[in-house]
Amino acid sequence: MNSYYAATLLVYAGVDIIACLAINLQFGISGIVNFSFIVFQAVGAYTAAVLSMPPDTANGGYQIYVGGFQLPFPIPWIGGALAGGLLAIPVGLVVLRKLRTDYQAIALLVLSVIANSVITNARPFLNGAAGIAQVPGPFSDQVDPLSQSYQLLYVGLTVPCVVLVWIVASRIVNSPYGRSLRAMREHELAASALGKNPVQLKMTIFIVGGVIGGLSGAILVGYITLWAPSVWLYPETIILFAAVIVGGRGNNVGAILGALLVPVGFEEATRLIPPVIFGWMPPPNLIPALQWVVIGLLIIGFLWFRPQGVRPEPRRVFEGAPVREDPQDARTA
Amino acid sequence: MPAQPDAPVLVATDVHRHFEGMRAVDGVSISVAAGKITGLIGPNGAGKSTFLAVVAGTLPASSGTILLDGKDITRLPAYARARRGLVRTFQLPSEFAQLTVLENLLVAAPNNRGDSLMGALLGRRYWMADERRLIEQARGLLKRFSMGAKESDYAGTMSGGQKRLIEIMRALMLRPRVLLLDEPMSGVHPSIVQEIQYYLQDLRREGLTILMVEHELHMVERLCDSVIVMAQGKVIGSGTMASLRRQREIVDAYLVG
Repeated sequence: MNSYYAATLLVYAGVDIIACLAINLQFGISGIVNFSFIVFQAVGAYTAAVLSMPPDTANGGYQIYVGGFQLPFPIPWIGGALAGGLLAIPVGLVVLRKLRTDYQAIALLVLSVIANSVITNARPFLNGAAGIAQVPGPFSDQVDPLSQSYQLLYVGLTVPCVVLVWIVASRIVNSPYGRSLRAMREHELAASALGKNPVQLKMTIFIVGGVIGGLSGAILVGYITLWAPSVWLYPETIILFAAVIVGGRGNNVGAILGALLVPVGFEEATRLIPPVIFGWMPPPNLIPALQWVVIGLLIIGFLWFRPQGVRPEPRRVFEGAPVREDPQDARTA
Repeated sequence: MPAQPDAPVLVATDVHRHFEGMRAVDGVSISVAAGKITGLIGPNGAGKSTFLAVVAGTLPASSGTILLDGKDITRLPAYARARRGLVRTFQLPSEFAQLTVLENLLVAAPNNRGDSLMGALLGRRYWMADERRLIEQARGLLKRFSMGAKESDYAGTMSGGQKRLIEIMRALMLRPRVLLLDEPMSGVHPSIVQEIQYYLQDLRREGLTILMVEHELHMVERLCDSVIVMAQGKVIGSGTMASLRRQREIVDAYLVG
């Protein structure tokens, strides 16, 4: 394992942790099934890309896209995060106000499919199916992006973002505000009868999740230097949901654990499958296809046998609470 | 009619609620006196629960006006009415199952600095004082309703009767002007029915105004200062239970079945 591989793993882990914390806020805490999460990551990535790239006439004009502002770090990352939040406003206003939760999930899933096919086919906007390449990462004009020190630098830029998102997420989850969100998740009608405005709560957390999702995309695109519709197909959202379900809905530590187990650990593990098994060479697409099967089985398996995940939502015991008699409940985290 | 000494807190005038032509509530006008328990009775399908939902804002009124303390609240959504002190409970258990009993109460409390995105992001120190005060208030209620030992249990694991109590305590955390109870005794063990009755009488002594839908007539007789009878979406009579028993058409419609 060389340092390039280690850096790649760490950046991917950081991006997935950030994304899973956002999904935990929306889905785990607030009960919003945002099946279009990957769109928010994509918007962040595209925004960061066009903010940091030169105009499309540079490089001989082999790709076409809007913008191209050549802005220095950290503007592309901030812009990516803001774009995620901005997109959440119209989407939330359409989807979250009137629809029931299950229809919200369907509408958001459909949005994800539509967005992808629009970007794929409207080439002048963001270069269509081919996507945008040669996205300059932060400080790539000062440090050689292929050098080992740049890898280290990128990890160094990713880690503070993870920490920041962690602080935001845990402050929300462990506050009275987080309690209101959980109450809405449990029984929306009762929450509104107690003075909670469910539309406002949902919109707010949808925008917060959009900002965090946008940031995750901005971080990712600067590292892989390429963004195309094929990297943000709707199943990517399902992988992140699988991570949160496996890790533990409603628990930030669980979300991080899930991010490390499912998108990072699991996908890395399949790379270790030898190309030839006992003299049999599987068809080239078999392993990736089987990955999807296993992701599906993972979700079903956990929902069936351990719906609360590896690290369940903690039961909040307050200072000065009387000691409970029954020790059967060991779910306190 | 004798002069009404108690000013009405809640007045509904000609309230209608139609579901695709079905007149569930068909021109109901009532007034609820301050500091009294008013009962709302009637046969199944009379529109009592629908009317209560319209008053609470859970369902919008098709027409009519609802005044709380003289202010028109007809167009306000449910959460805004709750913030003005009009708080309802539900006929079916509606606890926040994956929150503890204490959290169920805390969540209802208004005026917590940590109960906004900004407040939450500012961190524990910003809202801890509010939280402490409300925990104390909630524990006081839990003690009064003899559920102190259960505060750290998940509300979803409580019995039907305990869930009722949680709902009532939760509503009380808002310090309501008017408490709307939708069949608080339904699905509750008889021993807890007695308990709930005792608590409600106690709350009335403290001056809380209550409007309750209830089926159990003995309960209504013991608890309610005045009673409104509904049938087929309309009010067909009102007064004390004793006076209602003397009215032929009401007895025919409902009281004997």
